Amino acid sequence: MADDQKGPVAAGFALLWRRQSVLWWVFVVNALCGALGAGPATIRTARALSHSLAGQKLTNGFDMGIFIELMRVPSVDLMRYSTSSYLFAFLFVLFMVLVTGGILETYRQDRRLDTGDFFAASGAFFWRFVRLMLLSIIPFAIVGMIYQGLSKQADHIGDRAIADQVGIFLSLAAFIIFLLLALWVRLWFDIAHVRAVARNERGMWRNLWASWRITWHDSRHLFRIYFCISLVAWVTLVIGLVIWAHVPPTALPLSFFLLELIVFAQLMTRLWLLASATTWYQRHAEMASVEAVIVEVVETTPPPVQDLPPADPGPELPPAEA
Amino acid sequence: MKRQLVLRLCLTLLLWSVAAAAQSPFAPEVKGPLSQRVVAYQIDANYDPPTHTVTATETLTYHNLTGQALDTFPFHLYLNAFQPKATWIHEAHRDGNFRTSSLANWKPEDYGANDVSSFEVVGMGDLTKQMKFISPDDGNPDDKTVFQVKLPRPVAPGQDVVFKIKFKATFPEVIARTGYKRTFLLAGQWFPKVGVFWHGQWNCHQFHALTEFFADFGTFDVKVTLPKDYVIGATGVQVADQDNGNGTKTVAFHAEDVHDFAWTADPNFKVINSTFDGSVGQVKIRLLSYDSHERSWQPYITCVRDSMKRFDDWYGPYPYAQITVVDPPHGAGEAGGMEYPTFITGDSGWYIPKGVHLIDLVTEHEFGHQYWYGMVATNEFENAWMDEGINSYTEVKVLDSFYGADASIMNWMGAQFGEREAQRQGYLSAADIDPLYRHSYQDMSMSDYGAISYGKTATMLISLEAIIGEQTLRNALHTYFMRYRFTHPTQEDFMRTVNEVSGRDLSWYWNQAMFGTQVLDYEVLRADSNPVNWFDDNLKEKKGETEYETQVILHRKGDFIFPVEAVVKFDNGDIAYEHWDGKDRWVRYVYRKKAQVDSVQIDPQYRVTLDNDYLNNSRTTASQYAAVNKVGAYWMFLTQFLAQMLSWLA
Repeated sequence: MADDQKGPVAAGFALLWRRQSVLWWVFVVNALCGALGAGPATIRTARALSHSLAGQKLTNGFDMGIFIELMRVPSVDLMRYSTSSYLFAFLFVLFMVLVTGGILETYRQDRRLDTGDFFAASGAFFWRFVRLMLLSIIPFAIVGMIYQGLSKQADHIGDRAIADQVGIFLSLAAFIIFLLLALWVRLWFDIAHVRAVARNERGMWRNLWASWRITWHDSRHLFRIYFCISLVAWVTLVIGLVIWAHVPPTALPLSFFLLELIVFAQLMTRLWLLASATTWYQRHAEMASVEAVIVEVVETTPPPVQDLPPADPGPELPPAEA
Repeated sequence: MKRQLVLRLCLTLLLWSVAAAAQSPFAPEVKGPLSQRVVAYQIDANYDPPTHTVTATETLTYHNLTGQALDTFPFHLYLNAFQPKATWIHEAHRDGNFRTSSLANWKPEDYGANDVSSFEVVGMGDLTKQMKFISPDDGNPDDKTVFQVKLPRPVAPGQDVVFKIKFKATFPEVIARTGYKRTFLLAGQWFPKVGVFWHGQWNCHQFHALTEFFADFGTFDVKVTLPKDYVIGATGVQVADQDNGNGTKTVAFHAEDVHDFAWTADPNFKVINSTFDGSVGQVKIRLLSYDSHERSWQPYITCVRDSMKRFDDWYGPYPYAQITVVDPPHGAGEAGGMEYPTFITGDSGWYIPKGVHLIDLVTEHEFGHQYWYGMVATNEFENAWMDEGINSYTEVKVLDSFYGADASIMNWMGAQFGEREAQRQGYLSAADIDPLYRHSYQDMSMSDYGAISYGKTATMLISLEAIIGEQTLRNALHTYFMRYRFTHPTQEDFMRTVNEVSGRDLSWYWNQAMFGTQVLDYEVLRADSNPVNWFDDNLKEKKGETEYETQVILHRKGDFIFPVEAVVKFDNGDIAYEHWDGKDRWVRYVYRKKAQVDSVQIDPQYRVTLDNDYLNNSRTTASQYAAVNKVGAYWMFLTQFLAQMLSWLA
């Protein structure tokens, strides 16, 4: 089936699949950040356990007592090394902001960009996307505040209800609302990213406003796309963790593989969202904007004026009587 | 006619005796009195749910068994602790919070109070005006948790004195083991309770945030009048339930040989009954829970029954007819995890994952209090460890027997956590702060009190097993329980009993573990093998033929001296077992054999739980990277996951 006959979700996945090298690169960088972030803690653990039998309690299971020991004993103090994890997580975020331009350009053109073109596109949009990221703080913060309000209300009602479930379900409902609102904001800003690349838009406020109108106008369709793909992300996360929990404690390679698979699935769904957004935009918003331009041209150009035939002089009137 | 009369009389007597047997507060094979009954309380209480208040009349008969004349009597008014300037609130606020409660949002409607409107002594008149608040611990003039009354004439030794007290109890929203939540009420520490004349003087401490209670044994006859749709449970056994015809009912309870009385009520309670067949007969288990907690009912019952079995087998019989278990509603966490005589509160929820043993953890602990607080009634103000700590130790033993030592709290999502390790980690957070012998209410902080009273005692007793053996310690606790049940033993009584049963003078241990704050930490400082003929230029090392000298050095890093075992393993399979008294700072072991050392491990069974650092207790010559790789892999995953989550926002 040709891509243009597929829905945006399937077409987005096909695009992601065709341009999978992007996904692999993102995953490699993520894994590298993970490894570097975990490095100091691992080295510290190695100093404490590489010649100790205490580690057996972590090998044949995962004894929380020994893990707490690793965090508590001053000579190890593992928690101190979580800083590097935060640092490398932040670096990965910056990396994603940097390469989003290149990724979207790859998806837009649906061809393999050479390294130069990829990073040229990445660099061209970097500061614009930094601005978008900073602007996104506003709606995300608003969504966060709405969640806080809902959550507080849920607690308030739940606290007065006799059955435990009332509070739990209300809190769950508040969380789902928060998740959906956050997903909508993500959708809006993704459309802004896609539009900025498609139109080489420089004004980010203007871009955001236009993207808002597009997203709002087609929100039902767009949100369905985003919800379906996000559902895949959530389900794979839960299934992955459940399977991982059942892996024998000594099967570390399998356990590691599963954990990486979980991360890979999360990154994959993120890029799938971008690919689907690009596909949708190219099919709908770009077409709509071309049609809008045509209509505008049609409406503003006056119809061609035909030459009028020469006026009939008519019969000559008799001279007026004196 | 006469025959009929006799028959009727016999039938009446039979029914009466059956009813009396059914209402006995003891298990079938137990006959009281079990204690030296000092007090006899009769309380007639009226509960008003909308205002969360109880108005009551209390008649207290005090038997002066002190051997001396008494003319002054102090009483506790615990609910007055929940007033802004009270010592309890001051201490809780000083330490940031109390259990699950934050005082940040504490409002006047959450205050509690005990108001005595009338205080009469039979034969001596109304002494209400003689009541005087005292603050024996900190001199706080605004603390109203203890009052005392001086009688016009003393009560002679062996004589009784009867107090008639009218009071009103205003309950706070649940805090510190008492109070209401919606329609639920846990009425604990709600009535004026007389102090304990102990060691030649009154012992009646103010209510402190850090510690709990101390009272004399006696009998309780309590009647509670409340709306008739309420379900009620209490200390002792229910002996009457009368419909008053005005929308209320009066329920009467009777308890003997207990030192406190608590009750609970809620129209939404669901009652689940079960039984336990103990060594002194059948005991009724009465669980008060909620429909929404249905998943928890069976775990509660199973845990209580299994705990009763372990205690019955190991330490002694549970002599009462009933144990009431309260499963508080959601949001009433402060009412959960509490013990009163024959009455405990647990903690559960709508959903608890399989593998997380929260219900067992709390329920077993609270049931254990029936022994170490309920029957062996120690002074919790001063020696909280004798209740909380010994109970934490027995909790470790019982939960270990349920789920195994390494997973008795949790075995979920690939991670395990054992109760003994939880107690040890608790202790190590405050290892060098407070000694056990210090009065508990004077400990440095709330968290320190918990670490010492619960964690240090449990850890200290588990480590003691390494010296005298697990079975000997069990025997010692059995002897201690049987000897001191229904009395108020001291910490010296406990130490003396363990010394006696183990047949050892353990003063060296008590001096460090009980009276000191020394930290215990042993390490393997060195473990290596070198060829004996190291100077031989032509030496070619060959496994099984070359002779090596192995040096092993054990080091005592901490100041706590403790004898330890060490296991030295060689690469030819030989094993050497060493015993070091630990008195010197270090010890060297030298071996000459045609094998090299593989590993050295101090305390391979992890029995010396007082050890501050398990990581340095062993040394291997070969690298051990499996655990390192695992920690590294998990850490890496968490970093990656965090990174991708944050990038979703960007």
